Amino acid sequence: MAMFGGAYNTIAFDAAKCDGCGDCMTACATAKTGTVDQSRSRIQIVGSEHDGFELALCRQCGDPKCVTVCPAAALTKNGDSGVIEWNASKCVDCLLCTVGCAYAGIALDAGSGHVAKCDTCDGAPACVPACPHQALTYITTSRIYNEVGDWEDLFAPGLAGCQGCNTELLMRHTLRRVGPETVLATPPGCVPGMGSVGFNGTTGTKVPVFHPLLTNTAAMLAGIKRQYRRVGREVNALAIAGDGGASDVGFQSLSGAAERNEQILFMVVDNEGYMNTGMQRSSCTPYGAWTSTTPIGKGSGGMPSQGKTQDAKNLPLIMVNHRCEYVATASTAYMQDLYDKLDKAIQASKRGFAYLHVYSPCTTGWRFPTDQNMEVARKAVETNFVMLWEYNPKDGLEFTRPVDDPLPVTEYLKAMGRFRHLSPDQISHIQGKVVENLAFVKQMAHRQSA
Amino acid sequence: MTTAILETPSQTQPAKQKVMLCEGNEAAALGVALARPDMVAVYPITPQSSLVEHVAKLIADGRMDADIVDAEGEHSVLSVLQGGALAGARTYTATCGPGLAFMFEPYFRTSGMRLPIVMSIVTRDGITPQSVWGGHQDAMTVREVGWVQVYCETVQEVLDTTIMAFKIAEHHDVMLPVNVCLDGNYLSYGTSRVELPDQAEVDAFMGVKDVNWHVALDPLRPMAVDPLTGGSGGKGPSTFVRYRKGQCRGMQNSLRVIEEVHEEWAQRFGRRFAPLVEEYRLDGADYAIMTLGSMTGAAKDAIDEARDAGKKVGLIKIKTFSPFPVEALLKSLNKVQALGVVDRSVGFRWNCGPMYQETMGVLYRLGRHVPSMSFIGGLAGADITVGHFHRVIEATEKLLSSPAPIEPVWLNEKD
Repeated sequence: MAMFGGAYNTIAFDAAKCDGCGDCMTACATAKTGTVDQSRSRIQIVGSEHDGFELALCRQCGDPKCVTVCPAAALTKNGDSGVIEWNASKCVDCLLCTVGCAYAGIALDAGSGHVAKCDTCDGAPACVPACPHQALTYITTSRIYNEVGDWEDLFAPGLAGCQGCNTELLMRHTLRRVGPETVLATPPGCVPGMGSVGFNGTTGTKVPVFHPLLTNTAAMLAGIKRQYRRVGREVNALAIAGDGGASDVGFQSLSGAAERNEQILFMVVDNEGYMNTGMQRSSCTPYGAWTSTTPIGKGSGGMPSQGKTQDAKNLPLIMVNHRCEYVATASTAYMQDLYDKLDKAIQASKRGFAYLHVYSPCTTGWRFPTDQNMEVARKAVETNFVMLWEYNPKDGLEFTRPVDDPLPVTEYLKAMGRFRHLSPDQISHIQGKVVENLAFVKQMAHRQSA
Repeated sequence: MTTAILETPSQTQPAKQKVMLCEGNEAAALGVALARPDMVAVYPITPQSSLVEHVAKLIADGRMDADIVDAEGEHSVLSVLQGGALAGARTYTATCGPGLAFMFEPYFRTSGMRLPIVMSIVTRDGITPQSVWGGHQDAMTVREVGWVQVYCETVQEVLDTTIMAFKIAEHHDVMLPVNVCLDGNYLSYGTSRVELPDQAEVDAFMGVKDVNWHVALDPLRPMAVDPLTGGSGGKGPSTFVRYRKGQCRGMQNSLRVIEEVHEEWAQRFGRRFAPLVEEYRLDGADYAIMTLGSMTGAAKDAIDEARDAGKKVGLIKIKTFSPFPVEALLKSLNKVQALGVVDRSVGFRWNCGPMYQETMGVLYRLGRHVPSMSFIGGLAGADITVGHFHRVIEATEKLLSSPAPIEPVWLNEKD
């Protein structure tokens, strides 16, 4: 059972698809008032300050201000459905809630003389199917929160990630999903650096956890998994590793374990460098990026030092060429996509090697404000700087979230300080590589699916 | 291949044993099979290759029930076994030379995690110059890393010691990895008569397997293996010291356990090997030469001839090199007035052989001056013959009346 404060199913609005026809309002008014008076609809489509339309609708907030301001306890959040319910017998018609809500999600219904708000029609909102353009969807992303939130958090409270880092959340969600019958390897880097293996005799994790060497994560896990298989015990072998330990010095053991198809789930948290040790360059660091070992300077002989001079190694594509049981890229800005892939990777790891490559922006090392992590992750995908796809030997490679109309890569680059120094030539190099990489993966997707 | 004998019952006493002919690498593989490891990880390297080939064939033929991991390099070989051991597996591998060098990162860690992994080192000289032949340089280079290291003299001793190594490593007072060193070329390929112990007798000798009672990666008893330890604050310094002292204690305990296991082996199987230090014709000797590994055979022949010629010379052989058997060696050194130490490797820092360097520390504890000198021979597969040992004996004898030379004698310098 979900706890109060959780996230729940809600109605999502895609402004780009809305033409303001008002069919949703008619459907709502019909369902809730038996009239076709759009002014009585709980969902209101209003003209935007710019072109297009905006949505005025109850978000069924996790921290609802309308509930807080109500002096009569007439508004409550239903812990099961997540819907904020209005109780007519308690309401004193003071309208404070309409002031408290930032979304205009609760308003006076002149027809009844009381406030009215969306109750999601008991999970089957009338407005959604009424939209002829699919601008409204009844989304289920809250599955993650409601399901996973009920599973035990297998990390200790109080891990010490940098402010604004999403790796801790990623770790917690991943281990919750994989479950307690797990041996967890976290090679040197941010993941143990924030205390998951503990310090001086303590532990930060409720499942068996260890520091492999930076170099031998996959090999050690292979030995563990094989012995449990030998004695007939079902134990998950999970690695949560950084990009440096996977793509550079740990690559040999990673490749060897993949070639032997060891039954391991190997997750790489790619923050594009050795961030835990002070933001040094790895082979996953992108072209042009500042790191502490690719610093910016005037150089010598008229050749300024302008960040990394090579393109990033595409580790997930290399893993595809090992013909692993499952390979996927994911982003912390697209949790539903990530979760679907995590589920598939867990299943695949029972048959053989599964590899999950999660792009994880580093607020400290990439130099962006600590509240911008999801935004940076999202821009990486929206510009095609990062592509989300999955691969298995049977179905080949497929995009899971194709971006057909990408933003210019500058939208991504300008979001952080590590690219601040880029010259126009460098930016066009990066934009060219984005186009080239997309074409390459598309070709691969086409070929392998054929 | 003579492994069919493994299943052949025998009526001989005290233990049922079959006689066969095999090379040292095969003897090691047969010893491994008799010890019944759960997991073997392999990567081939000269002169170890035929050893892991024999192991692979024993498994392929169903004569050995172990999971074999053909890893992509020695670094992963030892890493796979660490994982296996932490999950409760009895584990084995073999390597040498550059393979051991590549393995060094997990090698250092194995003793720190107290994992009772057994690994043969089919000893090989170091590169460069490029060389694929025998020498002790590889094993000597890693002697300060907390592994127990024992050196074999004969093919039979390779077989027997390989089995004993598991029992020593897994003893609860030890819990340390063990290297069984067999000389590349001379023992690896040297073919000799061996007696093969009966499986049931070996099973009784080995007892119950219990390898991860002290440290494990097991969801049934979750723990953090190797949390960040040390630093200058909190519990750091004392915690780190506790780990290191424990390792030193395990090493010292192993000296007693090695003796006990060798004694039990002698009782059960009728073959007695000196566990730490062997004395050969040392009683009544004025001076002694000291050896390690397969060179000892030729050295004993030279000692016999010298004794026949009236020279009062004896021999001290080291079997257990790590931990260095200080007390046992003190007893032997107490009997002599001069000492010549023959190494099959080079100690670059002291301009002498590494065993000589170690022995000088023991000589200091004698409390009296015993003149000594270092001989270096048998590098990169070179032979140390009876003739070479006569030169060693003559030079050592001169120490009784002349000052000891500072420079080592390079036995194969003019070969």
